Amino acid sequence: MRFLKKLGLSMLFASVLALGTTSANAECKARLGDFDWSSANIHTAISAFILEKGYGCQVEVTKGSTTPIMAAHYDKQLDVITEVWYDNIIANYEPYVENGTIMNIGVNTPDSQQAFYVDKTTADKYNLKSVEDMKDPKIAALFTDPEDPSKGRMTSCISGWTCYTVNLVKQKEYGLDEFYTNFDPGSGGALDAAIAGAFAKKKPIFTYYWAPTGLMGKVDLVRLTEPKFSKKCWDDMSAVVEDIKANGPDAYKPSCACEYRDMALTKSVLTEWAKAHPKETKFLEKYTVPTATVNKMLAFYEDESDGDMELTAREFLKTESMWKKWVPAAVAKKVTAAL
Amino acid sequence: MGLFLLLKFTRHMKKNKKLYVNLGLLSFFIWLLIFSYNSSKRKPENVSDLLNDFSWLHQWPKWLDLPLMKYINIIFKKLNETYGWIFEAINNFLLWQLMTLKNFLILAPWPLVVLGVAAIAYFASGKKIGTTVFVGFCTFFIGFLHPIFWTKAIETTSIMLISIFLCVTFGIPVGILMSRSERIRDKILPILDLMQTIPAFVYLIPGIMLFGLGAVPAIIATFIYAVPPLVRLTDLGIRLVDKEVTEAADAFGADTKQKLFGVQLPLALPNIMQGINQATMMALAMVVIASMIGTRGLGDEVLLGLQQLNVGRAAEAGIAIVLLAIVLDRITQSYGERLQARNMPTKKEKN
Repeated sequence: MRFLKKLGLSMLFASVLALGTTSANAECKARLGDFDWSSANIHTAISAFILEKGYGCQVEVTKGSTTPIMAAHYDKQLDVITEVWYDNIIANYEPYVENGTIMNIGVNTPDSQQAFYVDKTTADKYNLKSVEDMKDPKIAALFTDPEDPSKGRMTSCISGWTCYTVNLVKQKEYGLDEFYTNFDPGSGGALDAAIAGAFAKKKPIFTYYWAPTGLMGKVDLVRLTEPKFSKKCWDDMSAVVEDIKANGPDAYKPSCACEYRDMALTKSVLTEWAKAHPKETKFLEKYTVPTATVNKMLAFYEDESDGDMELTAREFLKTESMWKKWVPAAVAKKVTAAL
Repeated sequence: MGLFLLLKFTRHMKKNKKLYVNLGLLSFFIWLLIFSYNSSKRKPENVSDLLNDFSWLHQWPKWLDLPLMKYINIIFKKLNETYGWIFEAINNFLLWQLMTLKNFLILAPWPLVVLGVAAIAYFASGKKIGTTVFVGFCTFFIGFLHPIFWTKAIETTSIMLISIFLCVTFGIPVGILMSRSERIRDKILPILDLMQTIPAFVYLIPGIMLFGLGAVPAIIATFIYAVPPLVRLTDLGIRLVDKEVTEAADAFGADTKQKLFGVQLPLALPNIMQGINQATMMALAMVVIASMIGTRGLGDEVLLGLQQLNVGRAAEAGIAIVLLAIVLDRITQSYGERLQARNMPTKKEKN
């Protein structure tokens, strides 16, 4: 009994302590949405650190894959998304900008890429430069899909992500679907592991991938050229993509396909949150990190930080000075003090 | 003289074995502490700093970190580069088995497959009409829920059957070994505990790098997750065989082999069947997780429903998995019941 009493008392004490710390900075509360790939994690870690230490915000990070996180954002459950792959989700994102729920607050990484890649050894050996070069049964045989040996395997995007459907349409438009499967790796980690595994065993790989990523800095992938990006073509394709997402693969109609635009990744905030937190929004608007720096930080994250994202954010704040231009001097001082 | 001392020393060692083992473990622990401190990148510049500044007592210090990760990564890389061909061979073998089974089931007309499953249920349950009809209907409803589910369920079932086949070929012999030697059991039990508790992703991701994306890492993962109950129940079943019965077998002059195959295994069969049933159910639990590493099947549909926030799709696929579970459970369970009834003739007479 006495033990129980003690336990109860100490728990009460602990909860009072906890309440005390939270109420101290309750004037700023930020719910950040994070995704299951590293470049988003790093931006979230850096902005969370600045918001927490510099602005005294109470930060809460929720991690998930694109669809649920963006849905929560549209549903006003998440205030800030630090990395939005705008072009991929343009069709479902724009309506919420138009009705004033959310705001697109500019670029986070100016020049990211997503494309089809082949490992360099194979690309050099068989002179593979564009998706057209892949349309050859002999080339497809190099990448044989063990589960469907009549075709080659193109390791694609994750089936819940929009890029999976985009790749599906692209394959059909380019005529790749006769030679290759659109293989869903199931999750981001599995895709990385598949690429890393192929390189470790020196086996040919044909895959969809993107930069900035830590893995991109470690393996030698050659980007295959596709028809040049055109707004009209992309919009036509996006319409088909959304149709397939809603009604299944039978909804496919021949349209158009072109390369992914080397696009700017954007940031997004809830309009309500931005109105309540003008200072913090100003900082987030100014927040932008070049791809080279992101790749560098990702390499640090994977090789030196022992997988510690907060340490990586600290490293960024310590070694780079670009962030001091995003915040007022007083805030910068607080952040530096917390390092 | 020297020999005498050595003899004395060994006797002393034997007497105080436990003490020395513990001392050894303690020194190993201390060595680990020093080793990880030395290899840490985030240690203070001087060891004496630790005595001046006690802030490291407040929060777990960054330098107190066992560098296990680094070594596992090095070993894993070596394994992948040097012995990749072994895994390739295992991969090709399992994949060949899987593709044969899957293509056979997919090419077969679906009414035939439904009837086939019902027929298996009919004979396994000892010609019970109720079970047969129920199992037949459950099988039919998998495809009835969504036409896509039929192929997906066959893919899932093929992966499971191969995993269960692996479980039986490895699990039952290990269970028999465990039941015969206390020492082996003590060694194997912790391994079984580890296999059941370690999160699946820990071995799924290296599985992809060794075997490539798709079904094979899923089969291996399912095997790891599903084999422990079979091993445990085989062991238990054999040990639960009545002493009198084995003694009687001894009295008739049966040798170990005859005793095992003629007496112990047949009597333990209901328990082993229960083990196979449990392994099957555990294997089904892996279906959704396996889909996260690109395994085709019903889990795939659940995951897709989740990622698209499509409640209906995920629920439909979930129900299909439950139906598949019911089918497999009814078949294995009723077979086990029949065996049990056969093993207990006295009880049958009373009824």
